Amino acid sequence: MTGLMVHKLTVIRGGRPILDDVSFACPSQGLVGLLGPNGAGKSTLARLLAGQPGAHAGAVRLGGEDVAALPAARRAAMIGYMPQAFTPHWDISPRMLVEMGAARRPDLPGGTVRSAISEAGLGGHADRLWSTLSGGEKARALFAAVTVADPAILVVDEPGASLDIRHRIQLMRRLAERGRTRLVVAVLHDIELATTWCDRLVILDAGRVVADDTADAVARSDTIAQVFGVAFETVEAGGITVARPLCGRD
Amino acid sequence: MTAAITPPRDGFTIQLAVLLGLGLAISVCVGLAAGHDWASPARLLAALTGDRSLDSRLITDWRLPRVLAAALVGALLGFGGCLFQGLFRNPLAEPYLLGSAGGAAVGATVALLVPLGVPQALALPILAFCGAWSATVMVLFIGRVSGVVDAAGLLLAGVAVAAILGALRSFLMLALSDESISLQVVLSWVLGGIQTPGPAGLSVLVILTGACLLLALTTGRGLDLLGLGEDMARSFGLDVKRFIAMTILIGSAVVAVAVAFGGLVAFVGLAAPHLGRNLVGPRHRPLILASALIGAITVVLADAIARAALPPAEIPLGLITAIAGGPFFLFLLARRLRP
Repeated sequence: MTGLMVHKLTVIRGGRPILDDVSFACPSQGLVGLLGPNGAGKSTLARLLAGQPGAHAGAVRLGGEDVAALPAARRAAMIGYMPQAFTPHWDISPRMLVEMGAARRPDLPGGTVRSAISEAGLGGHADRLWSTLSGGEKARALFAAVTVADPAILVVDEPGASLDIRHRIQLMRRLAERGRTRLVVAVLHDIELATTWCDRLVILDAGRVVADDTADAVARSDTIAQVFGVAFETVEAGGITVARPLCGRD
Repeated sequence: MTAAITPPRDGFTIQLAVLLGLGLAISVCVGLAAGHDWASPARLLAALTGDRSLDSRLITDWRLPRVLAAALVGALLGFGGCLFQGLFRNPLAEPYLLGSAGGAAVGATVALLVPLGVPQALALPILAFCGAWSATVMVLFIGRVSGVVDAAGLLLAGVAVAAILGALRSFLMLALSDESISLQVVLSWVLGGIQTPGPAGLSVLVILTGACLLLALTTGRGLDLLGLGEDMARSFGLDVKRFIAMTILIGSAVVAVAVAFGGLVAFVGLAAPHLGRNLVGPRHRPLILASALIGAITVVLADAIARAALPPAEIPLGLITAIAGGPFFLFLLARRLRP
């Protein structure tokens, strides 16, 4: 099983290039972080990686096939996509959501839904209404629904935004664990968490790829400082290089 | 602990099925008893157990087909509304409000007033279907092009389409009617009203309603997914474009049959799924069944009022549902628009 190949992806919206000739390859395993300042094109790229529609030139290929052209059911079984914002139109429960996520793989063993719910820490909340859940509970329910079918590729768009620090670290650990056997592509904002947990980092700036390397190499390079306009220090911890913003108050 | 939070209702329980079935049975009995001259329970029982007196035959031969037709049209309106709400992902969507029923009415008016050289029994449902389909596609298209996806915007597009279609229908009625066609008949149908069907008509209605219900039930899973938003629906394996196109076709068929047999009846399609959601939760397969039963109960009772309230005159059914359903709609709208 090969990973995702992004080939000359270009998206132009309102005369402005959102993605500008983006090419890179993701291995079939590992946690790949997509970084970049606001408006760099990360979410647009994540959508296309997951096979969501949108006018574009170029292609995202999975094992030689264009993901945009895959039949919906097959794509759903292979690629999980967790969008940045998710609001269901009806007041469903986490259990219903996870069941819908599980239904895309008819071969899942019984009890998968239940264990996914309890793994997400939603055991006591599985039958509550969506409108009564906290932001973190919603995010965890969505993550459980997207991953319950164990897709070979998982694309998540800012999964930690609404999580507290403990759950955010827990989520990064789970993404990294998935990355040992699967491909996970995550749009991230927190450079420190990204350099701590990711295997590779791809940095976008104004629709172009400005870095595509191992997380350690990116953490040590000057690219992140240039792209974000913030000074970073690097910390070596347990064999990995972590980049931390220097935001001391004067 | 989450003891204070009641779990969402989910699915059709046996108790609920019995309750709604009982409700339908009682309302059918009320419908059979109601009329210019009310039948006592004893007379009703006699008529239903094979008595062939004139009184009993009035009930079995005249009222029974009418009540059954009302139940079937009500079921169509109920689950039709459920399909539309699921499709538009909006609890205020309704075939009547969105102009789909108006489109069906234009098609049906053409079939009734224009000599087309085809049997009316064939032309009417087909043209009603075409009208409902084009109106629905138009509203969805306007909503999409203008980028409005919120309740108010979509309803405004629907109201505009419904107004245009209403005017078109009135114009057709004025321009095309002559001495050979009673405008009264067309008008009373436009205002909504169950006609008493003959055995053949009733059989056709039974078959069409059954077919529509089966088709509607096939959309259950897709509507559930669509309720997650198009992106999530797609990522969970739904071919969104194809599914929406299919569901519009099925929804238009439901509206066409309902309009062909019951005229323009407002708000049942709004209220039935709304009440149903409180009983069986948001999943669409049980909701379609619950909406069908609630719609049937509602229209049977409304039709009973239509026949019994001002004898010997008959009040158009659509007026009764509008008087009862309009305030319900306003209540929902107010609750939704409140920040």
